[in-house]
Amino acid sequence: MKKSPLAFKIVGLLFGAGFGFVLAAANLHEYDTIHKMLRLEEIDVFLLMGGAIGVSLPLLWWLERRKTTTVLGGRLALSRSKPQRHHIVGGALFGIGWAVSGTCPAPALVMLVSGAGLAAITILGLFIGLNLRDAQVRRGAGTTTAGDGEHRAAVKVG
Amino acid sequence: MPLVVGALLQFFAMTSTTFAALLPDRLSWYIAGPALGLLVVGFFVMANQPLGATGAYVETYKTVTRKADAVSWRMFYFLGIPIGGFIGIALKEDGFVRRSGYDALRNELSLGTTAIVVLVGAVVMGYGARMAGGCTSGHGICGTAQRSPASWVATCTFMAAAVVTTLFIRIVSGGAI
Repeated sequence: MKKSPLAFKIVGLLFGAGFGFVLAAANLHEYDTIHKMLRLEEIDVFLLMGGAIGVSLPLLWWLERRKTTTVLGGRLALSRSKPQRHHIVGGALFGIGWAVSGTCPAPALVMLVSGAGLAAITILGLFIGLNLRDAQVRRGAGTTTAGDGEHRAAVKVG
Repeated sequence: MPLVVGALLQFFAMTSTTFAALLPDRLSWYIAGPALGLLVVGFFVMANQPLGATGAYVETYKTVTRKADAVSWRMFYFLGIPIGGFIGIALKEDGFVRRSGYDALRNELSLGTTAIVVLVGAVVMGYGARMAGGCTSGHGICGTAQRSPASWVATCTFMAAAVVTTLFIRIVSGGAI
């Protein structure tokens, strides 16, 4: 099946924009929002994540049972994997870094366009960290496979 | 490079005063959460892919450095996030405000120290996200919604680690941060 890379680019841009819009609307790009959440002073962000999962989990389950065909990527394929050491070690490191830098990868981009100049440092640091891990894998320590939350290679496009 | 960034920021500052206050200061979680969920489902229905940000960073880097295995359309997703984010910010009353950011850190630390702290935090975060195979959007929402045990474990781990780290910082800083 031949896929149109242009269609993927447009869909990617639109969904990225929608995602960024919601992050901005809910103030998730503000260090204060995340800081208050992690200090357990405010439960809004936990509820927000719960709301997102609460809507998407049953809908995806239903679409999977219906064997839905996606518009650009063939039969809907959800991925599930068994927890391994790298999920726990990586998750713990991610959590520590998240607490220190007060924003995660997507909100950091919104933080920058909201005018907070230090977000440029956060984004730079993220690229450095991702590449450190990739370089380590290239030297033969561990593997990088697309996780369940990352874009998969299952659909080869562009 | 700093000139280009400065010019862009100036452009954003000008546009953001044109329309204001169409969005509330902060959209309630019970609207924003389900909206995010629908975006995740919509992206699966369209592209059969999870809407995770870490993968977008990785592929953007590969695309820019012209690696052979780069998946270039993911860079458009990466670019879409700040574009949509800026539209959201422009529709708020406060809108675009040029500042350093990280208020709670800046109240206690100098600009230089804050930058170093933030950089080190971001490097650890990026390394961990790549190792775990996802971040807050990837594992935290898309992976959990796919009912992946690995994502649930990763999500619980990073939530716990972040809360404990924040508590640790709070104790070390005498409650200031």
